[in-house]
Amino acid sequence: MSRLVPGVTRPAPFAIAIDGAMIPAHPGETLAAAMVAAGAYRMRDDRSGAPRGMLCNMGTCSECFVWIAMEDGWRRRRACLTLAEDGMRIATHEAPL
Amino acid sequence: MIDPALFDIAIIGGGPAGQAAAQQTLAAGLSTTMIDEQARPGGQILRQPPPAFAVKGWMAGRLYRPLRRLLAQTEADARLKWRGATSVAGIERIGDHFRLTLSGTHGGTLLARRVLIAAGCYDMPVAMPGWTLPGVMSAGAVQTMLKSQQVVAGQPIVLLGSHPLLLVLATQILDAGGEVAAVLMPQTYGRMVLAALPYLAGAMFTPGPLMAAGAAMARLRRAGVPLMMGARPVGFTGDGRLEAVDYAWCGRTHRIAAQAAAVSYGFLPQSDLPRQVGAAVRWARPAGGWETICDGAMRSSIPGLYVAGETTGVAGADAAMAEGTIAGIAMAMDAGARAPFDMARAQARRARLQPFINLLRAVADPGDVWPLATPETLLCRCEDISVAQVAATIDRLPAMADASAVKHRCRIGMGLCQGRSCEHALVRRIAAARGCDPDAVAPFRTRFPARPLPFDEIIG
Repeated sequence: MSRLVPGVTRPAPFAIAIDGAMIPAHPGETLAAAMVAAGAYRMRDDRSGAPRGMLCNMGTCSECFVWIAMEDGWRRRRACLTLAEDGMRIATHEAPL
Repeated sequence: MIDPALFDIAIIGGGPAGQAAAQQTLAAGLSTTMIDEQARPGGQILRQPPPAFAVKGWMAGRLYRPLRRLLAQTEADARLKWRGATSVAGIERIGDHFRLTLSGTHGGTLLARRVLIAAGCYDMPVAMPGWTLPGVMSAGAVQTMLKSQQVVAGQPIVLLGSHPLLLVLATQILDAGGEVAAVLMPQTYGRMVLAALPYLAGAMFTPGPLMAAGAAMARLRRAGVPLMMGARPVGFTGDGRLEAVDYAWCGRTHRIAAQAAAVSYGFLPQSDLPRQVGAAVRWARPAGGWETICDGAMRSSIPGLYVAGETTGVAGADAAMAEGTIAGIAMAMDAGARAPFDMARAQARRARLQPFINLLRAVADPGDVWPLATPETLLCRCEDISVAQVAATIDRLPAMADASAVKHRCRIGMGLCQGRSCEHALVRRIAAARGCDPDAVAPFRTRFPARPLPFDEIIG
C-alpha cells in the first residue's frame, strides 16, 4: 500500500482497467498515480518490446504515454497529466484495434 | 482592450516566479493570464493535491512558508485569468505582440503584448545501464508524486545521484511512512566539503537550506537509513521492472534490492519555448542544458519577452520568487505602469541568495562522478537510440557537425520528448569528440510543438 493514509482524506475510489486488470483510483488522481500505487509501473513498450514506465511525472519526458479508450477510438495520452475517470480502460503493450 | 483575447501580460508557468510576477503586474493594473500544465498553481515546488483531497499539514515546513503565502495570495486574486491543465505548444512574435498556441483544457490561441516565460526546470535524465526499466524515476517524479498525489512511488526505494535534494526527498519519504533502502551519493564527504568551503561564509546569510540539509542527515541516521558517500551507482537490473540497484563502493560492486529508484544529478532549465521564439541562450553550468540570457530586469534578447526562475539558470524556488518580482516590476515599467515593489530592493533580495546557490551548484556538480553508460545503453529514450549508434554517427560526420546533423543521421532527439531527455548528453558527447566547449556546439533547432499535441487539435 503506497497511498498515504494518515492525514489524507480522499473521495471513495472507482475502478479503472489496466490491460484488463481492475485497479482502484480515487477522484482527482492522475492515471500515473493510480498505476504506480497499484504497482503497475509498465506504461508503454519500446520498439524492442521492452517495458517502459514514468520517468519525470511532470509532462516533460513522454515516457508514460498510455493508450486510453475514448468515444472515438484509442488515443495516446501522458498518464502523469491525465486524470483517472470512472470505468476508464487503459492499454500499455500495443495499439489496440 | 481592443481585442478581448489580447492580454497585457501572459505568464507561462504557475510556480513561484510566475506568481510573484503576476502579483506585480496585477497590482499595476495590467490584464494578466497565467498558463500551466498542472490543474492548480504552485509549480513543482508546491505541486498541489487534487481539490477533492484533504491533506492535513500539507507542506508545513518552515522553508516553504513564504511560497505557501504567495500561493494563497495568487489563488485568492480574482483578477488573474488562470489557465490550468494547459500546455503551451508554440510561441511566435507577431508585430508588437506574441501569439501562444495552447493545448489542453484551455486550448486555442492567445495574444499578449508581453510574455514571461517562467517554465521551471526538470530533472536531468542521466543515461546508465538499465535506466529504462519501469520503477527507475527522477527524484522530482518521486517527490511530486508524494507532494501532490500523496503516493509513495515504491518501496523499498533507493535514492541515488550527486544532488543534495536527495537528502530532503529521503526525509519526506520517511515522514510519509515509506521505506528508504539507502541514499547513494557518488562524491565523497571530503570532496563535498571541499566544494562547499569557498562559498560557506556567504551562504551563512541564508542559513535555512544548510540547516535543513543537516537536519535531514540526522533524520536519516535516526531512521537507520544508510547514507553512503562515495558510493558510485553502476546500473539497474530487473526482469521487466526494477528489482535491484548496483553500485561500486570501496573497490567492489554491491547490489541492493529496490522496487523503485529516484535519480538526481541536477536539473535542466526548460528551454524549448525561449529557443522556439529565438531568445538567446547559453550552456548552463555545471549541470548543463540551456539557460536563457537576460539583463538585470529579466528582459530576454527578444523585446517584450521576459524570463524568470529556473528558465534563467537553476537556482531554486527562493531565487525564482525574487526573479519573478523583478520581472513583474520590469513588465509594469515597460508597459508604462507602476508596480508596488521597488526594483532596487527586489534586485538586492535576489543578490543575497547567490552565495548559497553557488555553494549548492558546486556541491551537486556531477563533474568527475558521472555514472558510466555502456555502448548498449539507450541515450535517446523516445527513438531507442543507443550510445554506440550515437558514437558511430558522430565519428562518421565532419568535425564541425552540430547536434541537428547527428539527429538527421540517426534520429536521436526526434521523438515525443523533443530531445529534452537526450540533447544535453548528445551535446556533451559532440563537444568531447571535437575537444571543444559545449557552448560551441549548436543544439537542435527547436520546433513547434513544444509538447505532444492530440491530432484533432492540430487539424482543428
